[in-house]
Amino acid sequence: MPRRSRSAHERARANRRPQRHKDVLHRQGGHRANDFRCVGCRLDVSSDAPGTTHRNHCPNCLASLHVDRRIPGDRAASCRGRMEALSMSVRPDGEWMIIHQCRSCGELSANRIAGDDNALILVRLAVKPLRDPGIARRVFLVP
Amino acid sequence: MSNTKKTLSRTSQNILKIDTFSCVRCGLTVSAAAGDGIRRNHCPSCLHSQHVHDHVEGGPSDCQSRMSPIAIAVLRTGDWMVIHRCVRCDELTSSPICADDNQLILMRIAVRPLAQPSFPLETFGDL
Repeated sequence: MPRRSRSAHERARANRRPQRHKDVLHRQGGHRANDFRCVGCRLDVSSDAPGTTHRNHCPNCLASLHVDRRIPGDRAASCRGRMEALSMSVRPDGEWMIIHQCRSCGELSANRIAGDDNALILVRLAVKPLRDPGIARRVFLVP
Repeated sequence: MSNTKKTLSRTSQNILKIDTFSCVRCGLTVSAAAGDGIRRNHCPSCLHSQHVHDHVEGGPSDCQSRMSPIAIAVLRTGDWMVIHRCVRCDELTSSPICADDNQLILMRIAVRPLAQPSFPLETFGDL
């Protein structure tokens, strides 16, 4: 059984879509021009992230800023509201995705997690639906 | 005037009561009204939806393709929302769950991050 699941995992990894190419030049404007300070916890964040080329949320509190519209990196949104992590989703290849929701306009976006994201906050987000005490009754585990 | 408005709203209520749609994924014919009189926007059996509303620009969308459920979000009130993603244009929407939605699929979506962890969860046992 474990062998079979591993081969399925490898197959999913082999035909995975490559990360989307971004037309925005991140190195323009000199050294560390795209480092940012988090809107949620005021942490100074560097733009190079382990495991991903698009740093789009704070690794400490997972907050983001509503700057992109449809394409990641297009910087076309005029909202600039704070986006907070709403829930956790999993791609078919096993990659975790954070669903962000804009606090000012309600827009949703899905972002990959980075290697240095706060694991405790990620797991708290993942178990959030299961914290509800009425859930056992709803799935008929108890009468 | 108020009488006309009342009649109109009652007509729309009656239309909603008899209105049906068929699911784009499983083909099940579902009544458009959920149990408590609100319009449902996803199939109660497979939870799939259809992309009919454009959330970025506003107004109706011309995509019309299938939206699959990808995540469960919890509001502050404790209510569950199901998050849909369009399989064609990757647009995301969120909608409240209905009482007659398939609980097995809801639960499967809710536990999927913990079933496929992207990092070892054993360290959290020590906390």
